[in-house]
Amino acid sequence: MSRRALMLMRPVPGPSPIHSLWAGTKLVIVLAISVLLTISPTWTAIGLTALLILITAVLAHIPHTCIPSAPRWLWILVIVGSLFTILNGGPPVLQLGSVSIGMGGFVAFLRITALGLVLLGLSAVVSWTTHVADIAPAIADLGRPLRWLRLPVDDWAVTIALAFRMFPMLAEEFRLLAAARRLQPPKPEKQSRSAEVVDLCTAVMVGSIRRAAEMGDAIAARGGTGRISADCGRPGWPDVVAIVPVVALFVFVLESPIAQ
Amino acid sequence: MRTASYRSAGLKPAEFAHAAMTAALMGSIAVVSIVIPGAVAFAWLGAVPMGVLSYRHRPAVALSAFIAASLISFLVAGFGGLVSALTSAYMGAIAGQVKRHGRGPATMVTVAAIWGVVVSTLCVGVFAALRYLREVVTAAVAANVGGFAILVRKVPLLGAAADGLNRAVQSWLVHWPVFFGVSVWLIVMFGTSFGWGILNPVLRRIEEVTDLAIEGGLSEIDNSGPVGPLPVALIDVSYRYPSADRNALDSVSLDVNLGEHVAVTGANGSGKSTLMRILAGSTPTGGTVERPAGVGLGRAGGTALVLQHPDSQVLGLRVADDVVWGLARDEHVDIEGLLDEVGLGGMGDRDTTGLSGGELQRLAVASALARQPTMLIADEVTTMVDQAGRRALLNVLDELTQHHRLGLVHITHYPDEAESAHRVVRIGPDDRRTVAIDRIGPEPTGFEAPSQTTVLDIKDVSYDYAQGTAWSRPALRDVSLSVAAGDGVLLCGGNGSGKSTLAWIMAGLLEPGAGECLLDGRPSSEQIGAVALCFQAARLQLLRGRVGAAVAALAGFADTDDESICRALASVNLDPGIADMLVDRLSGGQLRRVALAGLLARSPRVLILDEPLAGLDVEAQADLIDLLTQIRHRGQTTVVISHDVDRLSPLCPRTIRLDRGHLVAAEQASRP
Repeated sequence: MSRRALMLMRPVPGPSPIHSLWAGTKLVIVLAISVLLTISPTWTAIGLTALLILITAVLAHIPHTCIPSAPRWLWILVIVGSLFTILNGGPPVLQLGSVSIGMGGFVAFLRITALGLVLLGLSAVVSWTTHVADIAPAIADLGRPLRWLRLPVDDWAVTIALAFRMFPMLAEEFRLLAAARRLQPPKPEKQSRSAEVVDLCTAVMVGSIRRAAEMGDAIAARGGTGRISADCGRPGWPDVVAIVPVVALFVFVLESPIAQ
Repeated sequence: MRTASYRSAGLKPAEFAHAAMTAALMGSIAVVSIVIPGAVAFAWLGAVPMGVLSYRHRPAVALSAFIAASLISFLVAGFGGLVSALTSAYMGAIAGQVKRHGRGPATMVTVAAIWGVVVSTLCVGVFAALRYLREVVTAAVAANVGGFAILVRKVPLLGAAADGLNRAVQSWLVHWPVFFGVSVWLIVMFGTSFGWGILNPVLRRIEEVTDLAIEGGLSEIDNSGPVGPLPVALIDVSYRYPSADRNALDSVSLDVNLGEHVAVTGANGSGKSTLMRILAGSTPTGGTVERPAGVGLGRAGGTALVLQHPDSQVLGLRVADDVVWGLARDEHVDIEGLLDEVGLGGMGDRDTTGLSGGELQRLAVASALARQPTMLIADEVTTMVDQAGRRALLNVLDELTQHHRLGLVHITHYPDEAESAHRVVRIGPDDRRTVAIDRIGPEPTGFEAPSQTTVLDIKDVSYDYAQGTAWSRPALRDVSLSVAAGDGVLLCGGNGSGKSTLAWIMAGLLEPGAGECLLDGRPSSEQIGAVALCFQAARLQLLRGRVGAAVAALAGFADTDDESICRALASVNLDPGIADMLVDRLSGGQLRRVALAGLLARSPRVLILDEPLAGLDVEAQADLIDLLTQIRHRGQTTVVISHDVDRLSPLCPRTIRLDRGHLVAAEQASRP
């Protein structure tokens, strides 16, 4: 019972300087840092991003209880991976008295794990400080230049907003479906795994198609699409301030020699 | 008129809705596959919604869904989520498009093979460009395999195999472009075939039960031209759906003028919803409709609708967003004034997700009024709303014609809701109705007194949602309650009172955070299935295509055990012939009965019914109450969760009220 579930797309109670940033700023920052880390996954970049995440989390009053607890087998997997890679050895060598351990493989393994965690953490911090209602309008604004290429950016923003609206309904439906399956008695004759998957997919799809039809009628009843939010935030001075450390991170990482 | 031209070029309402639904499904699948450790295998299932979408709609719709799904997945789960969404998107899109064009597996394989080359070239190119990332990844992989080989070197057979694997991996890593390219190509081939393999049976099953054609929705209504919906006159109007053999609506005449409040009543299946569609602008197949100009659906001075389903008609994420949703950007709306009028004043910043059914419906009224409509049609708006919410909603509707210059058409299957209208129009046969209404209210006498044996013992149970996180919220506090064999308990309380949580704890689906819930002396969470739970959305419990198979799955019968299935159906007064029917063709009342048939066949220790009357018309409600009375007479221990106290309390000798997680009153019904 003590396992903590992961909650996403639900801001922790604000307000805080991070909560009040324009959603578009946060999106751009996450995208930029993700690209930077993919191009140049150095320890410096990973470490500085982790530091940035930490500072943001403190500023946004994100409690440590937001971090979900990992299942035991994941820990075992990490330990086994560490064991294998340490056994494999390779430079650099760690000297512990008379025992010398090659840490090369282990360091690489550690770096990949850290990279994955930092990328996840980056998204998580944004999803814990941004209200979903602010995301689609921000995307419509950010995507404005794409309209010159005749891309239907507004349609995409509407689709995103409606998808966010549907999320809780789908989640509830999944929860009920899972409960219904747990309540069901075992079958006397064994059903094949694929038949079970088809049953489940059909149930989900039939329910969703019906809901989509209802929602389509509701959109038609509003005379089609147009505005999606009552008050769209705009970037301001705090957003400029928030960009500064990110630019600094870029300059520092791209200028410093790559440590192998 | 930039907005107008943009609207005609973009997606249609039905396309938006399906694209958004697909994006939400794909997004949640992608996110789950990344953030829940071990769920990676789940990722490819995202191909199913994308496949269905691509099969039904043009590529622009699939593109929109794909963009939305990728963005959401990236936002929530980072690059991993993005890759997961991308993968399932092309699998589904290829399979769906090939099916849409009526081609077979050969075409699918060819397309996948070509696409595989594109994807693997792209992947190799990207990986080649990302030198540092590549070096770290290959080093980690090599070290893992190498370490494993060293560890098992001494083990016979396994050691040799691991050594071989190690050498193979080392050489693959040296020639990584070939190895990587071929792997990606194989994954594309395998994944697309998987998408194809699962999409085919799913599409076949869906087509059996629902009409996948997109016609018939309100999206099809011609909404251009000048606006002038009132006064409208329907003369001998009838409607027949393309594949049907009889009219859904049979020669109805009706007129509505400005300032009038007209109620339309009729039983389920009498064509009320079809009438709504015709009033909203659909062209009837028979008779004539006269109105001064176009209906102007959702446009200023035109026609506004409030529909049946609270959840799916509220489109904004915050209350204020919903009021302006779909309006042109420069239109000014007094959001606060409208919210005040429907009793939601000061709630503009609230999330729409947390609202009760009644609040959602009142919000829908406010959003309709934001268009300053000349005609407002309310279509069975109270069906999914509890008693208290229903009264508040009806009060709002009844005052509309006094405060606004509009004509109101209120379509309902509850005759009492029509009383405040200026005029009532009845459609369909109405001879059965009076009989049905008289039958409400079974006698509470005659149940056997509950025995002294306690079946369910709930001791000081507390429960918190998202316990231990920042979002923790109490649902139940120190609830104690015991249910004896043969007992009947009505559990009532408002929205968010914790009654559904308590039901889930009774059924063993949730473990209490504190206290215990014992069924026959053992924790109920160790005996899932011993307590039967009948959902409000009974459809979700009937997962199989046909009624017989669905009952068998619920009851634990073999699908071929016709005798037991028939007996189960007969026990809820259903004709055994129904076993061959498709579950999706059943009415709401029949769905509940079929679910009950399956659940009762296992002789559950306790039967829990969640809002059994919700969404049923008067007659179906009366029939179900009759059936539940019979079931109670057989001595079945029953717990009913409902806010419909008046109609259900005769069924249950005891009523228990929950308020914000606390047990506030446990009353014994006065027995005559």
